[in-house]
Amino acid sequence: MEWMTVEIQDGADAFLPGETVEGTASWQLDAPAETAELRLFWYTQGKGDQDVGVVSAFPFPDPALQDRRAFRVRLPEGPYSFSGKLISLAWALELVVEPGSRASRTEITVSPTRQEILIATGAAG
Amino acid sequence: MRARDNPFAVHRVLGIRYRLSGTTWEELLARLEALRFRAALVGPHGHGKTTLLEDLGARLAGRGCRVRTATLHEGDRRLDAVQRRTLLDDLTPSDILLLDGAEQLGRLSWFEVRTRTRAAGGLVITSHWPGLLPTLHECRTTPELLAEIVGELSAQGMETRELFDRHGGNVREALRELYDTWTTGSAARTGSPSPADR
Repeated sequence: MEWMTVEIQDGADAFLPGETVEGTASWQLDAPAETAELRLFWYTQGKGDQDVGVVSAFPFPDPALQDRRAFRVRLPEGPYSFSGKLISLAWALELVVEPGSRASRTEITVSPTRQEILIATGAAG
Repeated sequence: MRARDNPFAVHRVLGIRYRLSGTTWEELLARLEALRFRAALVGPHGHGKTTLLEDLGARLAGRGCRVRTATLHEGDRRLDAVQRRTLLDDLTPSDILLLDGAEQLGRLSWFEVRTRTRAAGGLVITSHWPGLLPTLHECRTTPELLAEIVGELSAQGMETRELFDRHGGNVREALRELYDTWTTGSAARTGSPSPADR
């Protein structure tokens, strides 16, 4: 059975801007991979079209069918994870294997408080 | 409510795929083949043309076609440089071209697209009106369809007929209104959750 995971050291899921994230990407594939890489990116969700910004990508050379690779990623200074009425911005680390665009994603929070910044809406919620 | 948690956020709405009514995918693909893969998906705003075009493209890609897509927006009377490369350059019989919003093109630009894409294996367009290419499928919406989608997204039944009528069957706009309704927390007040309008 095929599976992929991105695990962060000590199970952490919230970080300060500029902090370094360490962890491991592991996978077991049914079909050989030509490429495997870890991507750090932010994305938006909400009322409008989705935006995505890939900040960095780290290829894992010569991926095997079953494999486990360590990674170390320095986060940028921003943008911060936040949510308002119209838009949320979230961060994630994603392992992507080609061909087939097979992917596994782990969400993280990036902010000076290590918590998603909630923009006051004055609305129920 | 956080935008990401809104049941009508775009990323959730995009997860709702086109629901064929009155035909099957096999019939649709057979008809497309009978039309030599040059055909139109027709319907007004918010009736699912783009979603159906995406789903059709995925199925054609699954059959080994090389799918090349260009999207036109309001006021795009001609193709830009990237769209020209996508639709007109180095065409082979295995290329299926998808052009979303073909009705936006000016008459000369449409003539150019229609003639210069003959080297491709196919050209499927969306259009607000029939006549540019033979109609493959007319996209329609119903109050029942909207109620079904709203039920899936919000996990609750809701009276949606008035919403459907107010937006003239434009499901996309109806769902946008529900996003706002949820955002302001007034869903329970105005939506009157009730057994789904099916």
